[in-house]
Amino acid sequence: MTETTPRDLFPGALEMMILESLRRQPAHGYALVQHIQQRSNNLLQVEEGSLYPALQRLLKANLVKAEWGVSATNRRVRTYQITAAGLRRLEEQISSFERMFEGIALVLNPGKSTAN
Amino acid sequence: MGWIRDIFRRHRLYDDLAEEMRLHIEERTEQLMREGMNRREAKLAARRAFGNQTVIEERSREVWQWATLESIWADVRYALRQLKNSPVFAITVILSLTLGLGANTTIFTFVNALLLRPPAVVDGGRLVEVVTHNAKASGIESYTNLSYPLYVDLRDHNRSLSGFAAFDGDPRTVSWSHGGEGEIVYGQLVSSNFFSVLGVEPALGRFFQPDEDKGGAGAPTVVISNLFWQRQLGGDRAVLGRVLILNGASYTVIGVTPKSFTGVIIGTRHDFWTTLAMTPTLIHDRDRLGSDTSSWLFGVGRLRPGVSKNEAQADLTVLTRTAHSSNPNAAVMDASAFPLQIMPGPLRGYVAAFTGLLMAAVGLVLLIACANAANLVLARATTRRRELAVRSALGASRFRIIRQTLTESLMLSMMGGAGGLLVAYWSIPALMSLKPATIPVSIEAPLDWRVFAFAFVASLLSGITFGVMPALRSARRDLIPALKDERQLAGPRRSRLRGSLVVAQITVCLVLLISAGLCVRSLINARSIDPGFSTHNIAVAHLDPGSLGYTEAQDRQFYQQLLERVRALPGVKSASLSDYLPLGTSRSVHGVQIDGANPAPGQKDIPIQEASVAPDFFNTMGIPVLNGREFSIQDVQPNSGKVIINQAMATHYWPGRNPIGQHFKDGKQTVEIVGLVKTGKYRSLSEDPIDFMYLPLGPQSQEFLVVRTGTGEEATLGEIRRVIQGLDPNVVPIEMESISQYMTLPLFAAHTTGVLLALFGLVALLLATIGLSGVVSYSVSQRTNEIGVRMALGADRLDVVRLILKQGMRLTGVGILIGLVLSFATTRVLAGLLYGIKADDPLTFASVALFLGAVAFISCYVPARRAASLDPMKSLRAE
Repeated sequence: MTETTPRDLFPGALEMMILESLRRQPAHGYALVQHIQQRSNNLLQVEEGSLYPALQRLLKANLVKAEWGVSATNRRVRTYQITAAGLRRLEEQISSFERMFEGIALVLNPGKSTAN
Repeated sequence: MGWIRDIFRRHRLYDDLAEEMRLHIEERTEQLMREGMNRREAKLAARRAFGNQTVIEERSREVWQWATLESIWADVRYALRQLKNSPVFAITVILSLTLGLGANTTIFTFVNALLLRPPAVVDGGRLVEVVTHNAKASGIESYTNLSYPLYVDLRDHNRSLSGFAAFDGDPRTVSWSHGGEGEIVYGQLVSSNFFSVLGVEPALGRFFQPDEDKGGAGAPTVVISNLFWQRQLGGDRAVLGRVLILNGASYTVIGVTPKSFTGVIIGTRHDFWTTLAMTPTLIHDRDRLGSDTSSWLFGVGRLRPGVSKNEAQADLTVLTRTAHSSNPNAAVMDASAFPLQIMPGPLRGYVAAFTGLLMAAVGLVLLIACANAANLVLARATTRRRELAVRSALGASRFRIIRQTLTESLMLSMMGGAGGLLVAYWSIPALMSLKPATIPVSIEAPLDWRVFAFAFVASLLSGITFGVMPALRSARRDLIPALKDERQLAGPRRSRLRGSLVVAQITVCLVLLISAGLCVRSLINARSIDPGFSTHNIAVAHLDPGSLGYTEAQDRQFYQQLLERVRALPGVKSASLSDYLPLGTSRSVHGVQIDGANPAPGQKDIPIQEASVAPDFFNTMGIPVLNGREFSIQDVQPNSGKVIINQAMATHYWPGRNPIGQHFKDGKQTVEIVGLVKTGKYRSLSEDPIDFMYLPLGPQSQEFLVVRTGTGEEATLGEIRRVIQGLDPNVVPIEMESISQYMTLPLFAAHTTGVLLALFGLVALLLATIGLSGVVSYSVSQRTNEIGVRMALGADRLDVVRLILKQGMRLTGVGILIGLVLSFATTRVLAGLLYGIKADDPLTFASVALFLGAVAFISCYVPARRAASLDPMKSLRAE
């Protein structure tokens, strides 16, 4: 348990990444962990401790839906799928995240955009 | 309404979640096995990587929950399960609290009944009760009711009240003739605007019209109470217009009060109301309405909008002073306005002091009960060390554990509170029966919402009081030794805390027991006071044929025949009549002039309390005639000029001389002393000797029949009742009782205080005993090992008993010492209630302390014996 990442990057980050992953393709919990880890080049390690409560929150808000099924590797899995509401939420979050990221970048590297 | 669906779906959701997480770990395990681990390693690694499954599952579930409410519910269910697993602990705590909270709820129910319940009127906050007050006097005697002329004056001239009504403070005993017989009912005389000022609406018919107060306007009318209507008149809606014969006169029923309305003064039961104009007809007192010296009315006014109680009081005071200024001899009186409550304003302070004393006593009982509960919860926390440690190791936070432990305490206290309500429900009728049945007052003490609120808050506070400390302690501990099941050395801190709880219990218990002891001894003293007359084998009947409109001649004939017939009854030794019974509520004083004796400065006469009695009175009452004789038949003829005095009066005015044959002036008449009787008690049992004289009883309507009987009083009372019915079936005795029943009234206050405090003292003793033996038993269980070692090293059983006893008795000793000191300070409050005993009576203090010590010794000895009977080998192996 040495490689623990901070549990929350910032509020909503985990949900956003889950929704983004599910937008690309439906997946079950284990696959989501693997997917986020790979996509981030092992920079981000999702803790199951955060993943499952986050999935329950998304389920409750109707942003994703879940179904029991059989995976490609012939395992019984509960697959999550993004809903229309989830897609809308993702768009909103990404755009607000980008604005925030831009702001942070400006504060951290003022020289790059303003000739001051 | 999604959350409703959620609740039903929830179990499936939880199952899905658990299954999903299990599969997740399985997939990870297989992945790790593919990477070369063996199954066991892979499983462990997968688990480790996943983290604390329980916590994750709990947090995931919380998403679906009504978070706080549901986790509290979970705590409650867990607490109930825990309590079910240790029923002895739970029952002991709940019983302790039931006793403590039950005593409190019961006494509070009476406080509520006497002081808090508002009368059933509209907007009672704007109503004031008006009496007059002598600023120069103090205490209850400084308040006087209003006379009728003063009431009319205030009603017509005040500027602060939108309506001003008056009512007679005494319930009137009235004979209701129906079906050829009489029945005693209670009526109240009120002004015609009484109901409209109070804002009460009739349940049936109408209330009085303004002109019905003037009198002479048509037939007399009555409003009847809902209860009377239901019980005696069968709830018939055709009751309106029906005629009732009350004290010999006809009244037409015009209305029925609503069920909720039981009058505005506590304790008085009213069957009917009629207007003040009917005073001469109803109570045969022609002068009362015109008299400005008989003060018998309570005023009740509704404040005009924007006028405060004090402004109204000032307004009325001006009028009162003006009214009284016409009489230069009268004391200066102010008006006094109280918020209208069921307990008349002037009495409220006394009732509050008395009930406050009882509340303090039961408060102490509750403290002892809480200390008991705290001790038990602390002891249990120690045995639950492992469970709590496992819970925190599994991820329960400190807050969670405190909340859980506190929930358990609150569960216990709530159950205790529910038990307390049951105790109150059962004990209130029992306590009501302490009230002499012959006092014509009815006190309603319902368990209303105020009582429930009190029980709830008291339970909550008790739960917090005894639960907080153990809860904080349970969360503050080292996990490792607890998990390893290391026997925690009974730390000095913990045992000191529990020890001081026991010391506090013993202290409080002693204070209560000493107070109870003082009151009980005072009661015994009061009972043994010689009232100056016999308190056995006398039957008493209070009669008033005059209320049926008897003339003087009819009165005389009635009483003469009554005496003749009663004297002829089997078992009756003698019978007589009087207009007064000693220790009764009425009092009559004559002004006399005695040669050689000077009246008080400014007074013309010497006031002497008097009573009128018929021949054979002293013999019947068992009052010894010391010299001279009783009245003869000749003496009771008009203007016979004979008098009998008591010993106190003789010593006072004719010291060293034979008073028989002496003369003095009673008003204008010169009277001759023919007899000397022993001094008795006339106003109260604790009074100093009072000068008293007896005059021959002339014909009058209200009289007491006293009968000395050789057989049982009960049987004689029945015979007397038959004799009265034989004479006139419409004459109903106002009161009929044995002399011992009669004597319950003067002893009532002392009796109630004594019984209640003794009861609370015993409850306190029981609780403290449970507490003490609990602590000692616990310490025995903690010291099993030590005892084993001692015995192995050669200590014999006596040494062990001594060791354990020493601990318990040290706590007791400290408690008793502090308790004695505290008692000296607190029993002073009781001084006014005690008769024939000082508040710091050393004998009571010493004997109660010894008694408590002895009980404590026994409650320590039992666990000590058990400790001594331990097998040393077994206790060592217990390690």
